[in-house]
Amino acid sequence: MQQPVPENLKISPFMAAFVVVAMQIGIGVLGYQRLIAKDAGYDAWISVIIGGATIHAIIWMMYKICETVDGDVLTANIYVFGKAIGKSINTFFILYFTMTCVTVLAGLIEVLRTWMFLNLNPLLFGSIYLLLGIYIVNGGFRTVVGIAFFGLAVPAYLLLSFGFAIRYGDFTNLLPILDHTPVQLLKSAYSMTLTFLGFGILLFFYPFIKNPGKSKKWVHLGVVTTTFIYAALAVISFAYFPPSLLEKSIWATLEMWKIVRLPFIERFEYLGLANWALIILPNVVISLWVASRVAKQTFNVAQRKVVWLIALVVLIVVQMLNSREKMNLFFDIQGKVGFVMAYFYTPFLFILLLIKQKVKTK
Amino acid sequence: MSFFKKHKRKLPKMPKAENINKEESSPNAEKENNKLVKDWENELSKSNDYKKTFYFNQKSGKKFTFTYIPTLIEEKVLDNNALPNLLEDDFYQISDVKKLLPIADVEVSTNKDDIPIKLLQGYVLVTLEGDRSGFAFFSAQKAVVRSVSAPEIEFSVIGPKEAFVESIGQNMNLIRKRLPIEELIAEEFTVGKLSKTKVNVIYIDGITNEQIVNTVKQRINDIEKDEIADSSYFTQIISDNGHSPFPQLLDTERPDRVASSLAEGKVAILVDGSPHALLGPTTLPEFFNSFEDYYINWILASFIRLIRLFAVIFSIMITPIYVAIVTHHYELIPKDLLVTLVTSRRVVPFPPILEALFLEVAIELLREAGSRLPTKVGQTIGIVGGIVLGTASVEAGLTSNVLLIFVALSALASFTTPVYQMSNTIRILRFPFLFMAELWGLLGITIAFCFIITHLLRLTSLGQPFMEPVFPLRVNDFKDALIRLPFQNQAKRPIFLRTKDSTRFSSQKAHKKKDIDE
Repeated sequence: MQQPVPENLKISPFMAAFVVVAMQIGIGVLGYQRLIAKDAGYDAWISVIIGGATIHAIIWMMYKICETVDGDVLTANIYVFGKAIGKSINTFFILYFTMTCVTVLAGLIEVLRTWMFLNLNPLLFGSIYLLLGIYIVNGGFRTVVGIAFFGLAVPAYLLLSFGFAIRYGDFTNLLPILDHTPVQLLKSAYSMTLTFLGFGILLFFYPFIKNPGKSKKWVHLGVVTTTFIYAALAVISFAYFPPSLLEKSIWATLEMWKIVRLPFIERFEYLGLANWALIILPNVVISLWVASRVAKQTFNVAQRKVVWLIALVVLIVVQMLNSREKMNLFFDIQGKVGFVMAYFYTPFLFILLLIKQKVKTK
Repeated sequence: MSFFKKHKRKLPKMPKAENINKEESSPNAEKENNKLVKDWENELSKSNDYKKTFYFNQKSGKKFTFTYIPTLIEEKVLDNNALPNLLEDDFYQISDVKKLLPIADVEVSTNKDDIPIKLLQGYVLVTLEGDRSGFAFFSAQKAVVRSVSAPEIEFSVIGPKEAFVESIGQNMNLIRKRLPIEELIAEEFTVGKLSKTKVNVIYIDGITNEQIVNTVKQRINDIEKDEIADSSYFTQIISDNGHSPFPQLLDTERPDRVASSLAEGKVAILVDGSPHALLGPTTLPEFFNSFEDYYINWILASFIRLIRLFAVIFSIMITPIYVAIVTHHYELIPKDLLVTLVTSRRVVPFPPILEALFLEVAIELLREAGSRLPTKVGQTIGIVGGIVLGTASVEAGLTSNVLLIFVALSALASFTTPVYQMSNTIRILRFPFLFMAELWGLLGITIAFCFIITHLLRLTSLGQPFMEPVFPLRVNDFKDALIRLPFQNQAKRPIFLRTKDSTRFSSQKAHKKKDIDE
C-alpha cells in the first residue's frame, strides 16, 4: 500500500536518536521544574527518572508495532482497524501534529515576548519562522533530520552555562530524600511526561531508518540522555532555588541563566533565548513534516502543497491564542491528548496487533 | 601534447567508411558534397586569414594546393618540413603525402565534411590536381602556450610552483606527469555550438565511483550553450543548485591539488582555454582548506584550519552582532565594556544599522575598486581607503571607531578563505545577517543562521551531501576536514566519495612501531 522509501533518502540509525531527542527537548525545558515540584517537592528528580523509564517501555512497543507491519503507524492502523477507522485515526494524527506545532510556536513566541521583545509581532515572526519550516520540509526528511541534528549540536554549549548555577547552589536543599509518598511521585512523574512527550514520532519516521534494528540502541540511549539532562537540570534547579522561590518561577531555567557572568556577556539569558529559537525549530519542523506526510499518505495529496496549508492553519491558530487563559487551555488539551496517545493508544494498538497476528497465523 | 593529438585524430575518423559508400553509390551525394565545399569555401574566403596556394612538384610537374588558415598554423612547418619534400620528391598521387612528409599527424581522407573542421583546428589541406581519389591533411598547429608559471591565487610558500595554463593539452600533461598510471582516464567532450570548447573529464578507473562520473558526463552532455569562455561557466551550469551563492565545485589552478584529489577518488573537469580545473564532489569544509595544509606538519595545519574556521564565523557574524547588541540588547554587555562603546558612539548621529551598512559598503567599494584596478594603483587605493577614509569617517562622527575595528577585522578575516569563489560568498552572506540583526537582534541572527544551515543541508555536490562530514555525521571523514590528521591516519579514502577502492594504503604497515630500545 505504501510506497517504500528510496534507500538514498533514508537516515543512518544513529541519526534516529537525534530526531527523537530533538522532539523531546522543547519549550518545556525552560520551566518544567515548578510543575514537577508541585506534587513531589524536591524529590521530583526521582519522578523525572521514573518518567524517563516508562518511555523505554513505550519505545519498545513502538518498535514492535513498526516491525510487525514493516511500516509506520499509519499502516498499522489500517491493518488493525480496517480502512475506514484506520484512516480516521490517521486524520486525527494530522490534527494532533498541527496542534503540537501550534503549541510549540505559541510557546516560543510567548517566551520571547516575555523575556526579550515585548513588542515582537507574532504575525511577522510566525510567518518567517513557518516559512523557514516549510523551506526545511521541502528539502525532504534528510534536511529535517539535519536540522534536528544542528538544533541539538549547536546549542549544546548552553549546558555548560548551568555550571554557574552549581557554584551558587545548595545541595542540602534536596535532603531528606524520599520524604514523599509514591502517589505524589507518580503524580509528579505524570507532569514530567508532558515535557518528555515527542518520542511518538518514532512511529511515523520508522520507514526512513536504514537498518531500523540497529537504531534501537541509539534511540534508547538518546532517551537516557534526555532523561539525564532533565534530571540533572532538576537537581541543579532544586539546589539553586529555595522551595518558596521556585513556586514563583515560571521560567526557572531562564532565571538560572541570570547568574552567568562572562567578561563580555552580562545577560546570558538573551543569548540562551536567541539559541532557543534554534532548539525549538526541530519541534516545529518535525511536526510540520509528520502532519504533511500523514496528509499525503491518507488523502493522496502532494506533500509540497499540503505543508503550506498546515503552516497557514498553524499561523492562524497561533494568532488566535492571544491570552494566557486560551493558551493554557490549549496547551493543557494538547498535553493530555499527547499523554493518551503515548501511554494508552500505543499499548492498545500493540496488544490489538498481537491479537490480530495470532488470529491470522492460525 | 601526444595525448592531445591522439584524440584529434580519432574523432573525425568515425564517419569515414559510411561516406565512401555514399560517394560511390549516388552521384547526388557528390553534388551535395560539392555544394558543401562551396559553402565553407565561400564563408572562409570572406576572412582575410584564409589562404589557398598552388605549387608545382619538380619531378612530376603536377600542381598541388595548400589550403589553410595562416593564423592557426605554424608557417615553419610548411617552410621546413612540408614544402621541401613535396616540391622536390616524387609526388604522383595523393597517398604519397604519407610517404613524403616527416610529420606525425598526416591523414589521407575522402570525407569532405571534415575539411572545415580540420582547417579550423590548424590542419593544412593538400589536394593534388588530377587526383580525385581524395585529399590529405597534415597538422601544423601553432601552439600559443603561455609558459607554466607559479600559482597566483592559490599561492603556497612550500610545495610545487606550477599552475595550469590556458591550453588543455599542457594541463593534461601536468596531471599525467603526476599520475603516470594507465587507469587515469580522460574522456573528451565538445561543448558549445560556437566555441566548440574541448572539455576533459578525468578520473581514475577503479577508484572513482562510476555513478559520479556518469553524473558529470550526463550533465556535460546536457549543456545547451553557444559559447563557453571558462571553467567557471561550468561551475554555474552543471552544479546541483545553480541558484545557490555557494560554489558546489571546487576550482583550482594547482595541478598537485588535482592529482591528489583524483587519487582521493574525485572527478576533475578540465576546460580548454581555462587555467582552472574543477573538482567534484566537494564538501563545505574543503573550501576552507588550502592545499598548502598538506605541505606542513599536521599539527600546524590543523591549527591553521581552525583559525580559518574562526575567521569565517567572525567575518560573517561580528558586524551583525554589533548591530544586534547596540540596537536591541545593550544590557547584554558588561558595564565597563558599555562605557567604551557609549563613548565611541556618542557623536554618531545614525542608528547602528546605518553606521554598519555605511562601513560595510565602503569596504565593499574598496575591494571592488582594488580588484578592478592595476596592481600598483590598487595598493594606493587600499592605503587611501583604509587609512584616510577610516580615520576621517571616525573624526567626522559618521561611525564609531569600535565598529571600524570590527569591520576592518572582519574584512581581514574574510581574506583567509583560500578559495576565491567561497570568499566572495562570505562577502555577501553578512548582509542578510545584518538586516535580520536590525529586525530582531540576536534572535534575528539565529533565524538567519537557520536559513543558511538549511540551505547548506539541502545542497549537494554531484549528488553527494555538501555538509558532510558534519551532516550526515561521519566521524571518520573528520580526519581531513576541519583538522588534518597525519598521513598515516589517512589510509582510507573519504566516505562521501563512495569510492570503489576505499583503501589508499595499508594502514598496518604505516602504523608499525618499534618498542623502546629495539
